[in-house]
Amino acid sequence: MNDLSASSRITYGAVPVQPAVVRRIRGLSDKALAWLFITPTMVLLLAINIFPLVWTIYLSFTNYRANRANAPVKWLGIDWYQTILTDPDIWAAMQVTAHFVFWTVVIETVLGFGLAFLIDKKFRGHGVWTTIILLPMMLSPAVVGNFWTFLYQPQIGLFNYVVAFLTGRPASSFQMLGDVTLSPWAIVIVDAWMWTPYVMLICLAGLRSIPDYIYEAAEVDRASKWRQFWSITLPMALPFIMLAVLFRGIENFKMFDMVNLLTGGGPGSTTEVASITLKRAAFESWRTGYSSAFAIILFVTVFGLANIYVKALNRVKSR
Amino acid sequence: MSIANTAHSVVEPLPGTRRLAGSLVVLYAVITMIPLVWIVLTSFKSPDDAISYPPKVVFTPSLEGFCNLFTTRSRQTPEFIRTLGPPQGLCDEIARGRNMVVAGPSNYVPRFVNSLIIAFGSTVLAVALGTLSAYGFSRFRVPLKDDLLFFILSTRMMPPIAVAIPIYLMYRAIGLSDTRLGMILLYTSVNVSLAVWLLKGFIDEIPREYEEAAMIDGYTRFQAFVKVVLPQATTGIAATAIFCLIFAWNEYAFAVLLTSGNAQTAPPFIPIIIGEGGQDWPAVAAGTTLFLVPIVVFTVLLRKHLLRGITFGAVRK
Amino acid sequence: MSLDAHTRMPGRSFADRILRRGPLEAIATTIIAAGVVMLMQPFFLTLYSWSFATTLFGTVMFIIVSKVRE
Repeated sequence: MNDLSASSRITYGAVPVQPAVVRRIRGLSDKALAWLFITPTMVLLLAINIFPLVWTIYLSFTNYRANRANAPVKWLGIDWYQTILTDPDIWAAMQVTAHFVFWTVVIETVLGFGLAFLIDKKFRGHGVWTTIILLPMMLSPAVVGNFWTFLYQPQIGLFNYVVAFLTGRPASSFQMLGDVTLSPWAIVIVDAWMWTPYVMLICLAGLRSIPDYIYEAAEVDRASKWRQFWSITLPMALPFIMLAVLFRGIENFKMFDMVNLLTGGGPGSTTEVASITLKRAAFESWRTGYSSAFAIILFVTVFGLANIYVKALNRVKSR
Repeated sequence: MSIANTAHSVVEPLPGTRRLAGSLVVLYAVITMIPLVWIVLTSFKSPDDAISYPPKVVFTPSLEGFCNLFTTRSRQTPEFIRTLGPPQGLCDEIARGRNMVVAGPSNYVPRFVNSLIIAFGSTVLAVALGTLSAYGFSRFRVPLKDDLLFFILSTRMMPPIAVAIPIYLMYRAIGLSDTRLGMILLYTSVNVSLAVWLLKGFIDEIPREYEEAAMIDGYTRFQAFVKVVLPQATTGIAATAIFCLIFAWNEYAFAVLLTSGNAQTAPPFIPIIIGEGGQDWPAVAAGTTLFLVPIVVFTVLLRKHLLRGITFGAVRK
Repeated sequence: MSLDAHTRMPGRSFADRILRRGPLEAIATTIIAAGVVMLMQPFFLTLYSWSFATTLFGTVMFIIVSKVRE
């Protein structure tokens, strides 16, 4: 930002500071200027995203190990892909991911849409309360995960205290993060706390995009409020809900930071979502070729979903 | 907006409905705020208060958490402490109460500074590149425009761990591991996609006639861009910058995998603050509080543009 | 886009109706979704094994199809 306003100052005066450069840019055709503007971004993305991606694809066909960089590299073909796609342990990790993605998306959509519906009633002070509700989603997932471990402490944590207070069970009788059945829900709760506002915000935009005259027409036809909700509100807001669901689905499919700090995949591997499995293979056992193949599998899945997401984005845009 | 609206149309909710909706939302907001408020409270507790059961809501405020966050301390015998002069500063006084002396500053400040440098560096770069590209995409016929835009967006959707593997190897090969420059470049590449999409939306909204009028007045296209479009896009650029800043500030996956010391940012550092005998919760809470304050400020500043930011500029309200 | 899919000209051949962007994109989307579900379903290991191929096929199809005439 700063350097742009600086360059505007350079050309503003009658005597440009860098006349040669400015004159050269001045003389450019629109087409050349377009490429001049777009190329730097493309070069950066090629260097930091595409080149590494191609490299990963190459590595996924080899037995390369990053901690033994000088060992001879052997070409393995699609061996790693076969290994991963027939491995019940990885399959189990995908199911852990599925549990996490499914329940977070369901809870966030129901709560988020409900909140948006209520906020759309435009009660007094809804602006301020909306901003307050939005806060959690702007925070760092890692820091959030870390401070929830404090709230989840069995002896001293606020969460256990509140549950104990409400249910009468002793606070130290359960461990949200250490229990095999509870820990998958512990990460769902934190994610729902953090990202419900996200779904709410998009749903709110959907509800506000419905023109009043449709409801007025429905009133004239004596349609009940219940009927109006199911035949006007929900269908009209659906593209927006889909957008939120897809984005949360993609984000939680690749979830790493929050879960890594909350449970680190444990206890055992009950909360080991795909990204954590990948991190363990890549940066703890240093099986670079193997983890590259796994990374490509995850990447293709996300990329496929991203295609659908952009389609959904364009549909919402045309509204 | 709606408060002064007394003319009831059929679509206006009844006052009772409104009140009910309002109280439910307020209830949700209060519940959702409890964890945050709790962290802020914990940062002002003494270590004993922080781990007391039942949890203490009323307590004597203490700055021990902040002291422990900023200093490292060493345990000494009371006899040795008595031989020292008067305590130097508040933190030393608190430490001496626990038979310790302040040994030196902790790593929190350098990590925080790293966070600042990397976040601002990558934001400036991403917004500069993003503005240029967004203008290019908005105003010119670019072949394969939609494909390029999708390509740009898809780079942001990549799973960070999948990207981190080759980046780790690449940075190791060219000597960028654990450097601020490496992290700035990496965050820039992630942020530039958001910047292009958001800014394209903002620039699309600026009427082309403005530039055309300027060009009839004898400006070149580039001058028109600098003198007409950029001033018009200031709000958009600022909003985009804040979004980039928040992303870079919050990022954890790349930071924890690719940095270890020199360039480590605050998010991977805060969880590993430990005191004697386990995690020093007031210090962790203090670190968290300081880290979150800028985000709260930014969120309030940004509230009108949040929707655009999270939908890559598609939904403009 | 979705509107386009429904405005059919009378008297068009079957191939003409199917080989358009709307329906083809819908098919590709379905294949991608099926691949993702196969990847994460807890029932059959065989489905899991073929999920990646399915998603990859759907994605490639989606990219190609988006170049087909509107």
